[in-house]
Formats: sequence, C-alpha cells, structure tokens
Amino acid sequence: MTMSRQGVQPTEVIDRAAKLRFRWNGKRFSGFEGDTIASALAASGEQIFSRSMKYHRPRGILTADYWDPNLMVQVGDDPNVRAGHRLLESGMDVRSQNAWPSLNRDIKAVNGLLGRFLTAGFYYKTFMRPQWLWPTYERVLATFAPGGKIDLDTPHAYHDKRYTHPDVVVAGAGPAGIEAALAASSAGASVMLVSHEHSVGGHLRYSSAAADQAALAELRTALDASDVEVLTDSTVTGRYEDNWLGIVQRNHPVAVERLIKARAKTLVAAPGLIERPYVFEGNDRPGVITSGAARRLVNLWGVKPGERAVVFSANAEGDAAVADLERVGTEIAAVIDGRTGGSISSTRGSSRAVDAVVADGASIGADLLVVAAGWTAPTSLLNMAGDRPVYDPAAARFFPSDPPSNVLATGGLAGDADLDGLRQHGAATGRLAASRAAAVRHRLQARTARALPVDGDEPAWAPDERAPLGRDPHPELYRADTHGMVDMSEDISSKDLVAAAHEGYDSVELAKRYTTATMGPSQGKLETVNTVAAIAEARGETISEVGTTVWRPPYAPVTLGALAGRMFEPVRVSSIHPWHEANNVSVIQAGQWLRPDHYGDPAAEVRNVRRNVGLIDVTPLGKLDLRGPDVPKLLSLLYVNKWMKLGVGRVRYGMMCAEDGVVLDDGVTGRLGEDHYMMSTTSSGAGGVWEWVENWLQTERPDWQVHVTPVTTAYASINVAGPKSRELMSRVCAGVDLDAEAFPYMTVRQATVAGVAGCFMWRIGFTGELSFELHAPAGHGLRVWEALMDSGSDLGVAPFGLEAQRIMRLEKGHFIVGQDTDGLTLGPSTGTGSLIKLDKDDFAGKPELAWAADRSLPLVVAIQPDDPDVVPEEAAQIVRGDTNEILGRITSSRYSPTLNRSICLGQVEPDLAAGGTKVTVLLESGERIGATVIDHHAHFDPAGERLRG
Amino acid sequence: MAMAAIGGRLRRRPPKYSAAALAWKGLRGESWPRVWRDCDLKSSYDAVVIGGGVHGLATAYYLARNHGMTNVAVLDKAYLGSGGSGRNTAIVRSNYLTPEGVAFYDRSVHLYEQMAVELNINVMFSQRGHLTLAHSDASLRTMHWRAEVNKLGGVNSSVIGPDEIKQECPSLDTSDHPRYPIQGALYHPPGGVVRHDAVVWGYARAADHMGVEMHQKTEVTDILCEGGDGPDGKGAGGRVTGVRTNRGDISTPIVINCTAGWASLISTMAGVRLPITTHPLQAAVTEPVKMFLPTVVVSGSLHVYVSQTDRGELVFGASVDPYANYSVRGSLEFTEGLAGHVLELMPGVSRMRILRQWSGLCDMTPDYSPVMGFTPVDGFLVDVGWGTYGFKAAPVSGEQMAEAAATGRTPKLIEAFALSRFDNGELVGEKGAASVGH
Repeated sequence: MTMSRQGVQPTEVIDRAAKLRFRWNGKRFSGFEGDTIASALAASGEQIFSRSMKYHRPRGILTADYWDPNLMVQVGDDPNVRAGHRLLESGMDVRSQNAWPSLNRDIKAVNGLLGRFLTAGFYYKTFMRPQWLWPTYERVLATFAPGGKIDLDTPHAYHDKRYTHPDVVVAGAGPAGIEAALAASSAGASVMLVSHEHSVGGHLRYSSAAADQAALAELRTALDASDVEVLTDSTVTGRYEDNWLGIVQRNHPVAVERLIKARAKTLVAAPGLIERPYVFEGNDRPGVITSGAARRLVNLWGVKPGERAVVFSANAEGDAAVADLERVGTEIAAVIDGRTGGSISSTRGSSRAVDAVVADGASIGADLLVVAAGWTAPTSLLNMAGDRPVYDPAAARFFPSDPPSNVLATGGLAGDADLDGLRQHGAATGRLAASRAAAVRHRLQARTARALPVDGDEPAWAPDERAPLGRDPHPELYRADTHGMVDMSEDISSKDLVAAAHEGYDSVELAKRYTTATMGPSQGKLETVNTVAAIAEARGETISEVGTTVWRPPYAPVTLGALAGRMFEPVRVSSIHPWHEANNVSVIQAGQWLRPDHYGDPAAEVRNVRRNVGLIDVTPLGKLDLRGPDVPKLLSLLYVNKWMKLGVGRVRYGMMCAEDGVVLDDGVTGRLGEDHYMMSTTSSGAGGVWEWVENWLQTERPDWQVHVTPVTTAYASINVAGPKSRELMSRVCAGVDLDAEAFPYMTVRQATVAGVAGCFMWRIGFTGELSFELHAPAGHGLRVWEALMDSGSDLGVAPFGLEAQRIMRLEKGHFIVGQDTDGLTLGPSTGTGSLIKLDKDDFAGKPELAWAADRSLPLVVAIQPDDPDVVPEEAAQIVRGDTNEILGRITSSRYSPTLNRSICLGQVEPDLAAGGTKVTVLLESGERIGATVIDHHAHFDPAGERLRG
Repeated sequence: MAMAAIGGRLRRRPPKYSAAALAWKGLRGESWPRVWRDCDLKSSYDAVVIGGGVHGLATAYYLARNHGMTNVAVLDKAYLGSGGSGRNTAIVRSNYLTPEGVAFYDRSVHLYEQMAVELNINVMFSQRGHLTLAHSDASLRTMHWRAEVNKLGGVNSSVIGPDEIKQECPSLDTSDHPRYPIQGALYHPPGGVVRHDAVVWGYARAADHMGVEMHQKTEVTDILCEGGDGPDGKGAGGRVTGVRTNRGDISTPIVINCTAGWASLISTMAGVRLPITTHPLQAAVTEPVKMFLPTVVVSGSLHVYVSQTDRGELVFGASVDPYANYSVRGSLEFTEGLAGHVLELMPGVSRMRILRQWSGLCDMTPDYSPVMGFTPVDGFLVDVGWGTYGFKAAPVSGEQMAEAAATGRTPKLIEAFALSRFDNGELVGEKGAASVGH
C-alpha cells in the first residue's frame, strides 16, 4: 500500500493553505489544517502506525476514525490518543506506543513465530513452577502491557464541568440526528445536538454524491439558523437513571476536556452504524481497510489509499468506495461481491503488497484491500437505558427492542432507508421527543413548589406513531473460511475464540474474560459481533441464541481529568484565624479545617490554663440549631440519656449510639429558649451527625415538628478556661450574672460580649478547669477574641491549641469518640454506662444496648505506666505477660506537665478494668513495660472541684 | 498429584497445564479438553452449593478434596464467576484489625500463595505490596493499631512514612501540596492482586476433576424443607430436603448458600432471615499504559483503591453505594468522585481515560463481618455477608465451609462468624479495617 495526497476533493475538510509541521517518532512531517494525525501521516506515505499487543505485528489504518484500534499513539504526555480522530496541530510530538526499538523493526515481533504456543489464555497454563520465579515471569509479562506512557509530572489542568437541563439531547449528528434536532427545536424544545465527529453530517460528510452534498449543505444551513446547540467532537458517554447524561466535550476552547452533565427530558439515540471488519487470514495486514476508511481518506482528506485495490463489497457503501477510489486513480484490480457469494480467504504479500486470495485460491495482486462486510449497531446508550437489543439475521445486525419511552432511536440504529426516509424518520423522532419532553417539563414544573404556575393539564404522553424504518437485507458475513483477527487491540483471533469455546469458555462472557476479546480500548465497538459469531459457530448456535455482551459506560473513554473536574475541597478556617497566624501558630489539619495546634510550647499552655486563664478557638465544634416543639423527642431518640425535662437555660451532656449500639458521637446540648435548643457535636462528627439527625427526621419521624439548621460556621467558638476565666469574662460580658450561683456548671446563658450581641455561652469544661464556652456570631469572632486577649493581659491570658487541650482532657480522662472508642465500642464500654437509660421508650441503639447490659464488655480505663517517663504509643497493645495474646490497647497517651508523668487512656478486657490492676504494655519497639489501671478516668482532680468552681 | 492422593476419587486423569504441554499441543495443533464438563442435572446430590462464584466453587472443591464428598452440584443462575467473583478488584491481603480477622485472612493469603500449584492453573498472585495511606492523625493512629495487631498475629505489616512510601511507590504525590497530604501508610508486603477469573476457573476445573458438577444457567427458585415452624415446613427447627430449579427439582440433605448479593433472598426460601442488606459496589478500569504503579494503593480517607494490572490498566474501586439496591448499573457520580480522589494521589494520571465502569452487589452485615456456618434450618448452611471483601477470603471460606458441611461441626476459625451472634450481640468488628478495606 502506498498512500499519497491527491488533488483537491470537493468534500475535503483540509485547508491546503495552512501547513502544519509535526514530528512522528522524532522525524519531521507535515500535514494540513483539518487533517487528523493519521490522515497526515497516511498522506506522507506512512503505512505502519502501531504494533499489536501480543505478537507485535505491524498495524496500519483500519477504519481511519475514532474507533480504529491500530491508530493509538502518544502525543506529548497524552497516551493512547486516537490518531484516526485527533486533529493535527502544529508542533505535535507524536510517537508510536508499542514498539521497540522502532516501529519498523520491533524485536518482540518474534512472538509471531510462537503464535501457536501463545494461544489465548496460555498464561493461565504455565509459569506456575517454580513458584519463586513467578515475580520474574510477571515482570516480563508486564512489559507486554500495551498503551502509552504516563508522565507523572503532567499537571491536572483546567477541567471545569457544565450542568445543563435541555429538553432534548440528540446523540449523533448524521442526517437523522440533525433532522431530529431541528424538528424538536421547531416544536419549541431546547435541544442539544452532540456530534462525535469534528463536524456534523455523519456519513454525508464523506459522500461525493451530489445529492448527499446538497442535503448536507441544506442541513447545516438549517442548523445554523436554528436554536439548536451543536457540540462537535463531543460524545454522550453514558445514559444513567432518568436520562442523566454524561457528555464529554473534547474541543472546548479552554478546558482540556470538559464533562457536561445533562438532565435530558428525552434522549434521541442516533449514533449511526459502525462498519465492522471481516475475519479472514491476514485481515490485520497493513493495507486492509474498511470501505468507510477508504471513503474518509479520499473524500475528507484527499488521500489516495493505494495504487491498486481489491474491493470486497457486500453493500452499497462498498460500491461507493469503488467509485471514490476510481475517481482518485486507484486501479481496481477486482471487486468481489459478498452479496453473490464472493469471498476473500486470505491475504499474502510482503512489505507494500496486499495480494488478496479469493475463494478458488487465486491470488490477485494489489496493494490495498477494501472490505465492506456489514455493520455493528452501537446500541450502547440503549443498553444503558435497560434495553436488550435483538439480532436480526436477515439484516445481520442488532436492533433496539424496547427502550424506555424517554429514549428514542433513529437513523441507522433504528433501521434502513434512503436519505429522505432517514431524514423523515429523524424529523418524526424529533417531534415525538419534543412532545414527550414538553409533558415531562409540565409535570416537573407542576410539582415544583417555587416554579412558575403551569397552564392547563399535563399534555398526554404522545404515542409513537412514527413510520418504522425498513431493514435492508445483508449477508451474515463474519468470518471467511479461514481464521483471522477478531480483536485487533488484543490480538485475539477467531481461532482463539473457537478454541476457548471448545475448552468450555463457551458463553460470550466467559470467552470474553478468558481471551480478553472486546476488553481493549475500542470496547467491542468493532469486534463484539465477530466475537459472538465465533462463539456461535463453535457452539453450533445462532448469534441470537448466544446473545451479546453488556455494553457498559462510557461509550467513549473519558479522561480522569475531565471526570474529576476542579478539586472542590475548601480549606476551612475560623474568623479568628488571622490572629493565630500573626501569633506564631502551628496549625494542624483536621478534616477540612486548619486549627491551631500550639503556639510554640503546649506544655506551657497547659500550665497557664491550670494556673491562670487560656483561650482556645474551637470554632469547628459542630453546632446544630434545633427549633420546634418536638426537639425533646428528637433528643431522646438520638441520645442514650433522658431529655424530656431539660429546663430552659440548662445544658446536658449526651452520648449518641448507632443502631448497633456503637458510640457515634457525643457533646452537650443546651436549651436556649422554650422551643429552641443548640446541639454541639464533635468537630469531626459535625457533618455526619447533621446527616444522622436529618435522616431520622426525614425517614423515621417526618411528623415531628423540628427544624434543624447547621450553624457550625455561623458562630466563632472560644473556650475560656482556667481559674481566672470568670474574672476575665466579667470584664467583657454585659447583661449576664457570671456568679457561680447565678450561672452554675452545666447551664447556658445569652449575653453581649465585647459589645457583640447575640452571643451565648455555656459552662462546661473539657479541660477540667472552670471554663466558659463562648459562641459569638462568626463575623465578630476576631473582635471578641482580641477583646478577651486585651482585657486579660494582667491575668496572664494566653492562647492554647489543640495539643494542650488534648493533654488536659487526657489529664481529666475525657474520652474522644473515634480515638478512645472505635467501630465496635458499645456505649457502656466508655465507662459512662449509667448515662444509658434503658427504661426510655425507644432510642437509637436500644436493643443492642439492652443486650450489652447483661454482658461484660471491654472498658475504657485510665492507665499509668510504672515508669513515669515512658509514654507508650497510641496503638501499643496490652498483652498477657510474655505472650502475644491481646487484652487491650492504649488509645491515648501523653506526658502530663501537670502531674509530671506519662498518662494514658486505654481499652482493656473487663477483668483488667479494676483500679490497681497491673497490665503489660507492648511498645512498638517490642519492649514490654508494666503499667497500672487507675481508679478513675481522671488522672487529675477526679472530684471535679476545679471545674465546678 | 495431591488431589488424587487425598481425594482418592479421581474420576479421570486431569489434563495437566504446563509449559511442556503447551509446547506439545502447540506443535501438534491439538486443542485442550473442556475445563469442566457439561453435565445433565441429576435428581439427587449429597450436597448442593448455590452460587458458582469463588466461594461456592471453593466450598465444592474442598468438599471433594478434603472430605471425599464428590456427589456435589454447584448451581449458578448465569455463568461461573458472573457475580462478585468477576467484578471485584482482586486484592488479597491479611492486614486486618481484629485478631480473628488477621488469623482468618492470613490463612487465606497462605492458600492463595499455594493455589497456582495446587490447582494447576496460574492465578497470577502478584504479591506486589499493599499500601493503605493515612491522610490524618486519626487514620495514622488506626494504621499503627492495625500494624501492632498484625505483628502479633505474625503478619508482615508496618507503618511507614512519606519518604519510604515514595520509595515503594514513586507515582504517589507524597509532597505537602495535596489537599490532604499523605502522612504515612500501613505497608503490607505480602498483599497483592490475583487474576480473579483464574481463581474461579481453577476451582471449577479442579472440583470437576474430582467429580463435582458445575451447572450454569440453573436458577434456584425455591428451597424445599420439612418440619420447620414456618409455611411449607420452612424455618427454624426444620430440615432441608432439596432445591427447586428452573431445570427441575433436586433432592439433597445439604444446601450451602454462597450467593453474595442475593444471599438474603435465597435464605428466605428456606425461611431463614439474614441481617443483610444488598448494596452496589462500583468499580472502573482505564485504558492500559506502561507500568508505573508498582503496589496496590488504598486510601480510606479518599475512598479509593487502585492497582495496575499486568495488562497496564488501572483498576479502581471505592466504598459501597450508600443506598440498598439490586441494580448493577453504574453512576456517573461514582466515576467523578473516583477520578477526583485518584488525582489527589497521583495528579500525573489526569490524561488517562476511563474505559469501562461496572458494579457488583455486596451483601452487607451490621458488623462488616461475614455470616458463616449453620442456620436454624438443619442442612441449610450459609457463607454470606461478605460485603466488599469476599474475594480475598474465598479459599479459606471454602475450606472452612466444607469442613462444617461435611462434619456437622463449626470449625474454630469461623466460630466468631456464626449467625447466632446477631441473637446474642457478640458482634465482630472489622469496620475499621474494612469500611473501604481493600
């Protein structure tokens, strides 16, 4: 085969005035604007574009479009680019992917000689012994991995997404698709027409017939004048529930590749037909191309595919290819008609020759073999909609069976007709799609409370009164009397498939998995039907009986970049954060939040809180504003303790358990007013608890009058802790009596703080000191914080961070959900079992907790290592003596600056939980140390006198 | 060979797979015999296994191999391996969180290591190392905990820092640039991936050689019982007498339910209620590129696990969909979330393309642990509730279930997984290790 550029063709899409230079495997080449990479290379006489996966056979153009399995190339850092589709750009660095040392001389081609041993699945049958050699075998096998190379320095470029709600989406822009879009648009629908190709027109684009070109011009003019939104070089990649569509737009001017998410009211599937290759010996030789490839090369890019051609034709497209070839001066050595029993059995020749061997064994000299053997119906979108297409042997392809009524097929997928017939069916489909979309729109609008009111009754669901398309008879041509390649990407031959079926892998799915046929980059677009035909033949069944594989999304591959879109994970900081940053803070990442970990010396921060007063920014603490008369019922349902009698102004600690009795979250909830409560959650649990509350309210108790508003970020939260905290607070608060009797422990008050109204504060104490947890409207958080710092300088006020808080809470023995508890810690294991009120009506986790009440469970206990200077790791296991039997573990550990010793919390088996029990802790180093369980959770101030002060 | 010696009931000489046999058959142009026979369905078997996935096939294999029970039928409503066995991401590991889990999966890894030789089929167990990444203090603490429990169970597992992670897996972004920088990882060198279909075919072939029958396209429509406290003699106190299929009734004293996503529906046929909900679990695969990802990488915080197959594709999975569903259609949002998380770990792969997505059904239990062994219906055994991690447990599950069915006693290794635990509250806890545990 020698391809070359010819004179100007009337239908060509290249701009011969715009020459583009690029590199192919390091050598300089040029093409024209409008060329694909493949057409430019073909025009320059290149024959080999890739090497096959297993046998490294040379491969040339097969279909010259997106689905061509032989045209996968690397462009710069972009692997697996479809050279049959990707438009040429100036300066492109294009490389072949699967060849070494070069495309023309590939050392692994030696595998071709071993073909008889490397049958499909051969690797399952060998390399088993010696076992220790398998990693080496594996490394060698892995060098056969096809595809391009990843450059790990490639940045995740700009990839924003678009969301849209068109009435009608038309997938496919051939004549039927365009007519459907135009008709739907005329009927008042908003329409998006998605063309997989670079321009609309489908097969008309590469037809030289005057009537086709006139029709194409007419359709394009009509589209330009219409309101239809046309997306070119874009593909509807998936149809999900309720016509939720993924559309990938590859030619966006800014985004590298854009994902469009469209909720279409109706979807028109008009993808056309894909020409399927024919299976015969040597069908993968460069120079064997489909009729569509021949016509595209000639008519779109002015490339003459060869000097002397044999054409195997079983349909009008094949005949048209003959005419196109003759027009550009390709000598037609023979036309073999598949409709009248003609056949091709093999190809012969070397280098540029492709001699065709016909049924009687005669060899016809040529350098090009064009094959028109039939079609594959790309039913992918219909499959995704739940349809099971059926095979029609008379037409030799699959047809839609019963897709949902908001998915309509037209064009070649639906049947055959002349151009007018296709256009009429398309237009009728567009009108039907618009009518049904109008009904959906009416229904949606009528059901949406805030939408504009709708006029009249919902339009009737229009019946499908389209005149059905016909089905042209077509010979069932899948395999000649010889075996050849079925899956070019995977190097799977019909012989492999027949052998697999005989071996017992005789359903399509098993054969597919065993041989990997259809699993490569074209995902069965070209090879599925031939695969099914080979299995059917081996089983002695029909294609209908064997059935087809399930086509799964995406229809065309989508880059991870487009799917990921823009990273949307906000960094959250409190309104006080600028102050922290100005004061030598060390931050720690806690979920989405950046929080002050310490300001230089956590131990000093602890001592200052114990001695004077400290401030910590606890804004991420989850806060849910609960309003309504049924809030107490909600609290009683979700917390394990009782809530019906919490007075206004009171605060109570609560623990939540999941339905399996496992501790879910904890925190305090205060009653701010008659029907107004504020629930606090752990910082990490803020989102989860909100969902938990809403889930119970919406699915279990929709009848309860409770309104939940997450207000975590609406308030800046500051814990003011230490023996001098009351003095400090008294300097900044107005409108509240801070006296111990008037504002006792576990109560809540509203106040004006530092001139900021609308603050509330509760007296609780995670640190174990007298403390006020103050919540100020977020916008004023910084002002309140600065006022506290300024007012307390003589009191020794200083900020403290999470680390100091962790130390102090551990000194006090407060457990942290998720650290001292785990996915199996039942409520009573926390040592707060008395909190659980099994005499309550019902609450989340009650049945499990009732069981647990009768059992001895592991318990959270406070532990002190015998050597006060050793701090065991938070994960160190508690074991039985010198054995490996696990009896518990250390869950929290720190060195206490208050007690000058190491302190821990841990979980232990029940028989170790009594105060004074000696345990053995296995450090990560392997050393075993002694430690003692102490009486209380609190290592410090167990009576809580400081707290209540 | 081993199975002949132990089973002692070899029906026919198995055609052994080897390089020499490949060469011989290649030279002579001979084809291989069927991997398993096509049999007529008999009216009676000593045991019927429902579900032709790895669990069912392994159970049948061990019934024949270890207990000499060869009059066994494995029934599948579609084709062998059509459920979760062919849809999982084929990761095998034993770095679990509880001592029970560690012992159980360690046995499974051991059986996987021997499988290629024992079953005489290359299952391509690639012990390439398994990294579970930690992006927060809290998850790093859990990694340490797991490592300590693993070490005590004799499993090779340790916590490593970003520099070592970079050495083991250079493609990961271990810098402090990502939104959630990698702070460390649990590194488990024996973990890896297996060719999952080969495991299915290997068990089927080996079981077939010993006389077990595989029946595809054979759907169980009812389980026949007598003496139970429910309708038609089903339910507690009764016993199994057979199964009804679309191809006719079979009488059998032992029925083993290995049907994963359909487990609760099948059990209901015997009047046994299971605390199981079925959730879809989605996965996806990219186009192939040259090898660049040497280990299995899991990130619990980012809800993703990924490995590169020997064919060069990246295979991804995530956590189960949050809603109960029997549909196996994928969602667009899944691929979006997945891509976002993968690019957090490896920004350089943004030009790789997703080729195919799919989903499978997971039978989830409240404590993320399986339900194995006997039920209140005599002769009706379950091996279900495998959730998202059934594949890696298949060999040991088959071995233990076969022992239970053949001996009538619960083996020690699966005592913790008895159905009765939901009546007495003795739950097992693998949430920590298995919520995205791959």
